[in-house]
Amino acid sequence: MLNVHVIAGISIFLVTLVVIMVRPSGVSEAAAAAGGAVLMLMGGYVRPAEAASLLLNNWNVYGFFLGMMAISALADQAGIFDMLAYRAGKWARGSGLRLFLALFAVGMTITAFLSNDATALILTPVVYALVTRLRLPVMPFVFACTFIADTASFFLPVSNPINILVLDAFGGGLATFLRYLLLPSLFCIGLNMAVFVWLFRRDIWACYSLSDLPEVELPNRQFFNFSSATLVLIAIAYLTAAATQFPISFVALGGSGLLFLGAAWYRCLDTTRLYREISWSLFLFITGLFIVVRAVENLGLTAAFGRELLQLAGYSPLKAILVTAGGTALGANLINNVPMALVMISVLGTIHASSSNRVLIYAAIIGADLGPNLTTVGSLATMLWLLILRRRGLEVSTREYFKLGVTVVPAMIVIGSLLIWLKL
Amino acid sequence: MRVICAIGQRGGPELVNRLSGIVGDKTECLLLHVIDTGPRHDLEEYLRGPLHRRPDHGEPPHEAALKAAEETAGRAAVEEAVIAAQHAGMQAEASVKEGRPEEIIVQTAKDARAELIVIWAGEGAAGHPHIGPASVGHTARFVIDHAPCDVLLLRGPL
Repeated sequence: MLNVHVIAGISIFLVTLVVIMVRPSGVSEAAAAAGGAVLMLMGGYVRPAEAASLLLNNWNVYGFFLGMMAISALADQAGIFDMLAYRAGKWARGSGLRLFLALFAVGMTITAFLSNDATALILTPVVYALVTRLRLPVMPFVFACTFIADTASFFLPVSNPINILVLDAFGGGLATFLRYLLLPSLFCIGLNMAVFVWLFRRDIWACYSLSDLPEVELPNRQFFNFSSATLVLIAIAYLTAAATQFPISFVALGGSGLLFLGAAWYRCLDTTRLYREISWSLFLFITGLFIVVRAVENLGLTAAFGRELLQLAGYSPLKAILVTAGGTALGANLINNVPMALVMISVLGTIHASSSNRVLIYAAIIGADLGPNLTTVGSLATMLWLLILRRRGLEVSTREYFKLGVTVVPAMIVIGSLLIWLKL
Repeated sequence: MRVICAIGQRGGPELVNRLSGIVGDKTECLLLHVIDTGPRHDLEEYLRGPLHRRPDHGEPPHEAALKAAEETAGRAAVEEAVIAAQHAGMQAEASVKEGRPEEIIVQTAKDARAELIVIWAGEGAAGHPHIGPASVGHTARFVIDHAPCDVLLLRGPL
């Protein structure tokens, strides 16, 4: 029954989400989440001891986030991203189309092993500089980078931190992950590539001169070689850890430690830059959200959501998968995919773990990973769209971009859900 | 005749050749390339957005590379147009500026008291999906609306 205590708790939760979404007067997402958490603690919705044990139980997630960001930053310092873009330029031999496809493949590989953030935030500027030098239209390539960062996000568990959040809560090894998500992932990547090639066919058909391709100036060739070898090791270790359910944070932190030592050994270590390239506010954001979502769980709201979900699905597992993937995608797009994933973890945790219900975890992963691409309102990886819409005015062409996400992403979600259902 | 040729990333030599065929070689040309800083600023804002890992102050790590790439590409675009103008026997001067191309082109025409602006019709539409009939790009459209002089709009593949 609703009483003042429950209504106040729901209000704190909703206001926190709205502030995260709107960010009034420059209030950061992390501050909003932390503020919500403090209010929930003060209101007695979560006991301090419970909050402490919740955070301690999630040590693997924190470790993975830290290691993942450090690995990307150190790989960037070694020149790995510049070299991959340069190699793509060489391989394409002057064809804009081949370059587009090659950069798609580079984006997919980086997303698969270094996470979506590495592609969206580090590869994108590298590609921008390369394509500008080659005097090709920049926008198709930049959009391809930001899009593939989300589309390739469920290729492997480490391709998106959201996957680790979900898998850490429910368990499940690499084999199960691939069983349900490999086919949907390959399908979505293929669809993304085909649609973009068709849409930008006139621009990417252009040729460029190989003499315009800038040579990569590596900070230190030996550090580059060391980093390349270490990244291969990290990739193998990630796969092994995921397969054996060994804590993934050990691999991420160990790998970043190795790269750190390598950088120091070859005198390439720039600690100031490394410190600045790690988003420390992300930890505050997740911490705040863990507590806010636990409070909602304690109020019994997520269990009610879970019952609604089961009722809505009736006896049809396909309907349940579609509702989970679609609903998570919408939420991830409207607010942010981290809180949406945490809410879904809590909701799915309350549902009886029959085999058909367990696949809903993978449906939620698809929704949370693809949701940001649905429209420009969503999370950081697609914010570029909104900025460009604002700057360029709503021309016919930019409206077409907007439509692109709305039409392609639902198709990806529906077919991805169908492929999961077929594996039941 | 004092003419401003708006040179995009590509198509500079073709534009100069078409112009010389229309107005002859007794033309004083300013070959102007404007680096469109809009997309780079959009990218910077995106990379500086909340919760990501870019620094709050100071230059982001790839900023220098982005600027250098734009300057090199701009110079290359203008240089090949200058060579084409010299071959056509025109008197040509090159200029690379930064900003919003449409505004800089119009302002430069005002400052130089140009009698004609020459621009590709599709300028400003590169990188956008081509849906519907061929139209005028946003840069060319702004120039037509705000130019202090005549505008020669060239059609053709860029």
